[in-house]
Amino acid sequence: MRRLATIASLALLALSVPASAADPITTITPDQLTVGVSLPSDGFEVGVAKGDQVTYAQGFDIDLAREIAKQLGLTHVAFVQSPFGRLFSSGTKPWDVAIAQITITDQRRRTADFTQPYMTVDQGVLAAQTVKPVPRTLAGLRSLRLCALSKSTGVDAAKTVIAPTKPVRIIGNVPTLMLNLQTGRCQAVVYDAPSLGTLKARTPDRYGPFVGVIKTGEQYGIAVPKGSQVLTAVDAALGTLIADGTIQRLQKKWLTTNLAKLPTLR
Amino acid sequence: MRSALLVMIPGVPEPISPAATKTIGVRSLRRLAALAWLATAMAIALVAPAGSSEATTVKVWFLQGEQLVSVDRPGSTASDAVAALLAGPTATEKAQGMRTYVPAAAKLNSVTVVNGVARVDVTLSFALGRDAQSLDARLAQLVHTVSGLEGAKSVLLLVNGGTVYGMFPGIVTSRPITLKYLETPNVPASHPAPPSPTGPVAGLLESQQKLAALGFLLPADADGKNGPQTQTAVLAFQKWQGLDRDGVLGPQTQAALAKAQRPAPITQGPSGRRAEVLLDRQVALAIENNKVVRVIPVSTGAPSTPTPPGDYKVYAKIAKWWSTPFREWLLWAVPFNAGIAFHEFSEVPPYPASHGCVRQMQTTAKWMYDFSVVGMPVKVLTTSQ
Repeated sequence: MRRLATIASLALLALSVPASAADPITTITPDQLTVGVSLPSDGFEVGVAKGDQVTYAQGFDIDLAREIAKQLGLTHVAFVQSPFGRLFSSGTKPWDVAIAQITITDQRRRTADFTQPYMTVDQGVLAAQTVKPVPRTLAGLRSLRLCALSKSTGVDAAKTVIAPTKPVRIIGNVPTLMLNLQTGRCQAVVYDAPSLGTLKARTPDRYGPFVGVIKTGEQYGIAVPKGSQVLTAVDAALGTLIADGTIQRLQKKWLTTNLAKLPTLR
Repeated sequence: MRSALLVMIPGVPEPISPAATKTIGVRSLRRLAALAWLATAMAIALVAPAGSSEATTVKVWFLQGEQLVSVDRPGSTASDAVAALLAGPTATEKAQGMRTYVPAAAKLNSVTVVNGVARVDVTLSFALGRDAQSLDARLAQLVHTVSGLEGAKSVLLLVNGGTVYGMFPGIVTSRPITLKYLETPNVPASHPAPPSPTGPVAGLLESQQKLAALGFLLPADADGKNGPQTQTAVLAFQKWQGLDRDGVLGPQTQAALAKAQRPAPITQGPSGRRAEVLLDRQVALAIENNKVVRVIPVSTGAPSTPTPPGDYKVYAKIAKWWSTPFREWLLWAVPFNAGIAFHEFSEVPPYPASHGCVRQMQTTAKWMYDFSVVGMPVKVLTTSQ
C-alpha cells in the first residue's frame, strides 16, 4: 500500500515537472550521461572494464541508466568503475550520477545527494553448502561466521540484527564475498536480497539455502555528488520511469527470484 | 582419423584409453603429476617420448558427456591452442559426442604468458550468455587448454583488453584462474530425492512379483509396499512397453503387465555381463549370459547433446566423479565412452535430457555400479523395436 501511494504521488510529480529536454542539463561530458558503477553485482551490473573505463555492461542498473539518459535527452551513456564506498563519498567525482543499489541512509546523505527511491529492498541471508542443519531463526544464525560487503548496509544488518558471537567478516567486493561463501569460509552472507536471490537462482548448486530476509525496508536511490546541479532533472526523469512502469519492467527482466516467498527472519 | 583422447578421472589410479583406437596424449604427463599419479606417469615415460620433444601438437579440451576430454591439434604455443579451441571440434569429433561451449562468434585477440600467468584476450562473445553452465564450461575449456603451455600456471581472461566482472556466475574472473581451482570440488554431492510415494494400489504384491519375475524389480523389493523401487520398476516397464511414463501402477499398466513377457536382449553378445542402452525406449538393459537381469529407466543425451550410438567398454568405476566443467558431482559413475558414463543424478526425467551421459535414479545407480565390471561391453542402440 505504501508503495502504491508512493508511485501515485510520483506520477503527479512527473506530470508537474515536465521532461527537461527544453532546458538541457550540463553533464561532465556534453550530450553524455556518465554513470558511476561498482561491477559486479548479479542481475544489477556485470561487465568488462579497462581500468575504470567500463567497455561493456549489462543488468538492471545499466538499463536504468540508459532510460534516464533517454529521459534527459542525452545521446550517450558511459560507465565508470569504482569501489562501492566511493560512489557516495564526499568530493568531486568523474561521473554525473552513481547507480549501484545504493541504499539511501542519513549517513550517506551527509556526503552525497540522492534522488527519490526507486526500489525498496530487504537484506537477505544466504547460507553456505557446508552449514548443516541450516538455522531458520536470527538466534540460530548468531553462532555462524557471517560475512558482508564492505561499507554495505548488510554489515549493519549482520551486526545489529543478528549480532553474531564471532565478528562479522568484512569483504571488499562481491566476487570475493561469494567465493568465500562457496568455500565455506563464510558460513552465511548478509547482502541485498534481490542480488542473493538472483545469484542463487542462477547457480543453485554452489550455495546452501536462502535462509530468509531481514526486513530492513531500505530504499535504493541514485547518488549524485553533494550539491550537483543534475539532481533535479535526474530525479524528475526517475519519477517518470517509476510512474510509467519502466522500473517494474526492468526488475522483471533482470531480477529472477520471487522474494515474496522467502521467510522473514525473526 | 586417429585422435588422442584423454579424459580426466580424478580418483582413478591410471589414465584410461577409452577405446583401442585412441591413445593417451603424452602431454598428459603434466596432468598426471599434478594429480599424484607419478608412478603411472613414470611408467608411461619409459615407453613414450618425453613431452618436450613432441612440441608439434597441443591439447585442446572439449566436452563429452559431463567431462572435459582432450584432442590433439597441430601447434606448440598457447595461442595455437586457444585458436584451435575457438575453432571447435571437427565433424568426426562431433559425431563422437564431443562439443564445445565456446560461442562460434568468439575470436582471439591475443595470448601472452608472463610469469606463469596467461593473459587470454578474446572478443565479447566469449563472455555473453544467460546459461550459467555453458559459461562455466567454456571457461573450464579455456583454462584447461592454456594451462601448462609456455609455463602458464593460471589464466586471466580479458575481453578486448578489459577485466571481466561477474559475467561468469559464481567464478571470480577479475583475477587469474587456476586449473586446480576448477578441479577442486567445492560443493557437496547432492543426493536426489526418491520419487514421492503414491496411494495404495490394489494387488500390489502380485504386480511386484510379476515385475520381479520379468526383470524390472529386484525380487527382494517385492515387499507389498509402494516405495521408490516399485515406482522405478513401473517406470522401466512403462518405457519398455511404450506406455505413458508416469511410474504409477494404473489400469493400463496393470493390463499390460498381466500379459507381458520377460524382455530379451536386443542383440546377442558374449556370455558374462554386458549392457545395452536403448535410446528410443530410454532404458538400459543389464544383461548376464544373454539374459536380461534388470531393466533400468534412464535419461540419455538431450537432442542437442545426444548419446552417440556404438560399441564401447566400461573402462572405470568411480563412486564419486567431479565434473570440472559443470562443477557438480556425478555419483556411481561407470564411464564407457570417454566422458560419457552411467551415473546417478538428481534429475532423471522420463525423456532424453542429459549432456550425453546415461542418467539413473538413486534407486538403480548403486546397483548398476555394482553390476558393472571394468571391460564390460556397453552397446548404445538407436532403435530397439
